[in-house]
Order: sequence, then structure tokens, then C-alpha cells
Amino acid sequence: MKEIIAVVRMNKTSATKKALVEAGVAGFTAFKVEGRGKIVTNPSLILERKKELLLMAGEDQTGEAEKLITDFLVGTSLFPRRLFVILANDGDVEKIVDAIIQANKTCNNVGDGKIFVLPISDAIRVRTGETGEAAV
Amino acid sequence: MLMVRAIIRPEKKEEVLSELSRAGFHAATVVDVVGRGKQKGIKIGGIVYDEIPKAMLMIAIRDEDKDDMVRIILKYARTSEQGAYGDGKIFISPLEAAYTISSGIPSL
Repeated sequence: MKEIIAVVRMNKTSATKKALVEAGVAGFTAFKVEGRGKIVTNPSLILERKKELLLMAGEDQTGEAEKLITDFLVGTSLFPRRLFVILANDGDVEKIVDAIIQANKTCNNVGDGKIFVLPISDAIRVRTGETGEAAV
Repeated sequence: MLMVRAIIRPEKKEEVLSELSRAGFHAATVVDVVGRGKQKGIKIGGIVYDEIPKAMLMIAIRDEDKDDMVRIILKYARTSEQGAYGDGKIFISPLEAAYTISSGIPSL
């Protein structure tokens, strides 16, 4: 048994839920978290997105908006994210991970999130007392 | 790889995160949680508080970074030199795989 922890963009919650159902797992636990990832050291990765956001900011004489946007894209502070916890049998892990990746990929190069796979030693269904794979 | 879950005082969160960042561990996920420990909560007057707010840091690291990580959290999450009840706990579990969604690469 494995525990899959996926940290994804807030606005990808419903896409992720849909992808999970399509991958054959309906059960999950999700909650709001804050997170940050690696600092972006290669400016060319965020160049496109920066241009887009600067256009949305409108007139900017002071350079304040540019600084704000750069800090945001480089990733020095904490951002709100959605964390999914999914229990899966060993054989299904690859399928679920692929589904989450497909649903959450964007063309922003960075900030799409992470997926972690951890081993679980046992699971128990409270209603029936079943243990192991049957409880997942 | 390892998954570190550190439950610390919320007021120590910023300090621990900035020290971790300085040491090269920038990535982290932060969750607001409530819980109680071995002391069964706090009793003030006649009232027992057993849902004490804490911050949980979830950090994925390479095996060789474990000692550094634990040292930094222990140093900066403590409220005094010798520590106090309520400073928190660190849990470390094995992590089998980590994927970066934007690239799909299975690595940290």
C-alpha cells in the first residue's frame, strides 16, 4: 500500500478530482496548505509568464509591480496550495501519478506542484474492521 | 529520500522557514494543525486545552540531508536553550518517489 501526497494549484482542484475519478479512485482527503518550492534560478523559465502578468498590471512607473511579480514567480514566499492524500494499492500508483501529472500540467514551466509517494504499513476500515489492501 | 514532518509552534514558523531557506532547503509545505502531546494539553485554572494550534512543516529531503535538517529545526523551533514542553515533534518517514508536475521528472 502506498500513500500518494500531491501538492497542486488551488484552481486545479476540480481538474484533479475529475482525473482521479477517471483513474478509478474516488476516495481522497484534501486540505488547504501553504507551500513554496525551489527558488527559480533560471530567469528564462519565467520570462513569458512575467510578460503576461506585467501586461495585466498596466501602467507602472515605480517598478513596484515588476518587483512584486518577480518575487512571486521566483517563489521566495509561501503560496496557497491544495494538498491531496490518496491511498492506493501498489499496482495503481503509476496510473494515479500519471493522471495527476496530466491534469495539473500547465505551460508556466514552474509552480505546478509536487507528488510524493510514501509506503504505508497498514490501513483499517473503521466500519468493518478490514485491514490491508481490502481497506484501501 | 525522506519525508520530514515537523510540528512546531506557529510563532516559530517564520524563523524556522527562513533558517531552512538559508541552509538551502527552500521548499516546504506548511499546514495549520491542532493537537496535543504527552502532557495531555494545557490546564489553565480548571479548564483543559487539548487542541493546541501548531504549524506542521512537510519537507521532502535526500537521505544525507537528514542530520542538517533535524539540527536546524531543533535549534530554531526551541523556545529556550534547553527547550520547553510544547516546542513540538519531528517525524521522519521513508519517501519512495517524488515527481515534479511541471516537468514530470521523478526526482526532488
